[in-house]
Amino acid sequence: MGVFLEQLVNGLTIGSFYALVALGYSMVYGVMKLINFAHGDLFALGSYVGYAVLVYGSCIITRTFGVWAGMAIAMACAFLLVGAAGLAMERIAYRPVTAAGRLPLVVSALGVSIFLENAIMAIWGPRYQAYPATVVPSVSWNIMGLRVTAMQSFILLFSLFLMAMLYYIVQKTRFGAAIRATALDREMATMLGVDVDVVIRFIFFLGPALGGIAGIMNGMYYRQISFAMGWNYGLKAFTATILGGIGNIPAAMVGGLLLGILEMLGAAYISSAWKDVFTFLVLILVLIVRPTGLVGERIAEKV
Amino acid sequence: MKRFSVAFLAVFVFFAMSSAAGAAEAVKIGLQAPVTGQWAYEGQMAKQSVEVALQMIAEEGGILGGKEIELVVADDASNPKDSALAAQRLVSQKVAAVIGTYGSSVNEPAADIYEQNKMVDIAYGSTAVKLTMAKERKYFFRTCGRDDAQGQFFAQYAVEVMGAKRIAIMHDNTTFAKGVAEEAKNALKAYVDAGKAELVYYDAIAPGEKDFSPSITKLREAKPDVWYFTGYYPEAGLLVRQGRDAGVTCPFVGGNAAINSDFVKIAGLEYAKGSLLTQEPMPSDLDTPKSKRFLELYRSNYRDIPSSPWPVYAADAAFALAWAIDKAGSTDSDAIASVLRNQMEGCTGVTGAIAFTERGDRKGVPYKMYVVDGEGNIVLYKP
Repeated sequence: MGVFLEQLVNGLTIGSFYALVALGYSMVYGVMKLINFAHGDLFALGSYVGYAVLVYGSCIITRTFGVWAGMAIAMACAFLLVGAAGLAMERIAYRPVTAAGRLPLVVSALGVSIFLENAIMAIWGPRYQAYPATVVPSVSWNIMGLRVTAMQSFILLFSLFLMAMLYYIVQKTRFGAAIRATALDREMATMLGVDVDVVIRFIFFLGPALGGIAGIMNGMYYRQISFAMGWNYGLKAFTATILGGIGNIPAAMVGGLLLGILEMLGAAYISSAWKDVFTFLVLILVLIVRPTGLVGERIAEKV
Repeated sequence: MKRFSVAFLAVFVFFAMSSAAGAAEAVKIGLQAPVTGQWAYEGQMAKQSVEVALQMIAEEGGILGGKEIELVVADDASNPKDSALAAQRLVSQKVAAVIGTYGSSVNEPAADIYEQNKMVDIAYGSTAVKLTMAKERKYFFRTCGRDDAQGQFFAQYAVEVMGAKRIAIMHDNTTFAKGVAEEAKNALKAYVDAGKAELVYYDAIAPGEKDFSPSITKLREAKPDVWYFTGYYPEAGLLVRQGRDAGVTCPFVGGNAAINSDFVKIAGLEYAKGSLLTQEPMPSDLDTPKSKRFLELYRSNYRDIPSSPWPVYAADAAFALAWAIDKAGSTDSDAIASVLRNQMEGCTGVTGAIAFTERGDRKGVPYKMYVVDGEGNIVLYKP
């Protein structure tokens, strides 16, 4: 039982990363019908921006404001910078080819992915980097023999908070209605006075920015980052998106958390070498039974 | 005055021509290394090491009566597919011989291509046993040791020196890590049969992952006395930290790719200290005149010395090739291979005397037990 709970906590933590990255995939897909392959690398960029802020600027930040405030500053920087990178990516790589159809867009997305990965390598070098131990909170609690770290709880709670905020914006605000309208039918939304360009820019800011937040939290949790880490997380988050049902926010959340838990339990009770096989087997079964994903029934309204 | 300037011009032209001729006749050597991809750090350090070695060879007067060596680098991007392409590129560029490459699984397709094209290839980081033992290759050599030696070293050390009874071995399913783990397991068999030890855990983790808690939980439940991980340092750093956090208290021993200064950075000093590793002597522990000169030059060119033991074997491959080409008196592959097998007495590299067995393995590569001390330095272990 102890082992099971331990794996559950680990699964929820890793699932939070998947869910946050999956949100970006899902939002962009909802509005643009584009699978943004560069999304995983934006996640990696978030890790590196956080690393740069914490390591170069922050000895001072962490010393003056404490560990948690240093973390907040680094996260704000990652949020803004990765969001800005998302905007630039949309302007430079996607907007010029939108009119050409979906295939050129996907190719362009792959190009951005390769560009970002190599840019990170060129800037920060090919070696693995490590977040220094002093900039990460090291508090942990022992709850009935189960070890839970402050970082784990923070990651889960903050991810849930971000997802709730996003859900609120999309479902309850006027701008959210514009986003949903754009996702539903872009031409009709334009005719009804929705500024579609603003919606797209918003999506391309927020999606990558959330990925950036996930990236820095990942860096703080595992403390080890590499320029090539984006691909793996991108792939897993994409799987989570499909598992939950693409184009829908709660689905991305459910898919991410579920994938994390499945992976950890699969590794613990079957074999860690076979855990991906197990995970994808579950994905295939879900898709056979429910082709739109677990929470994908609201196919009419995709955001 | 006029005569003088004509003479001067003649001398100048003569020198210009001779240096142009010299440059045109430079001997081309290929380096296949993972300059990009997951092992990019190793590839780039290998390239730097070979450049330093070539600089030293040039200082000593070059080869074949003063010729320089020109390096042609081919990037195999740390994967077998690009490895075949890189090998074909070097073959088509007609280099005299090749140094390369790092990963054992990446080396396999390349070694076949070099063999077919009769080109000498000296690997510097590929320690898998099967590269030399599975089939006979005429043109394949390596300056690094073989996995079985390291695995055997661990088994013997763990049982006889550390007195461990319950042994856990973990690898990551790459050719290299699995090779070391298999050899350690085979070497352990004698002790198991004699009732002196027990293999309580033997499993793989997935490389590139970051969360190993399920494997660690299983390992903890097996209650080992010693935990041997044969994979690479990015995972090793995470493993030791996650292991200690989850309550694994036994000594952690890494294979020779598991522990370096970046391991300490990733694990964090408080977790890394006390970790042991089985490996060839580190560059900083080499203290022959040649290695001192090598490290001095490396430091002045690149500010730091190599952070892992492998790049210096690439430099040694360069020294071995320079020796063999010089001794053979030509760039004919059969002549070079014959020298490498039979006439290496007197050839020294950064890691000491270089000589090869009939199969192409390096003769006599020593292994040692190292430990991460309280300051994060990796020093020789004295139990």
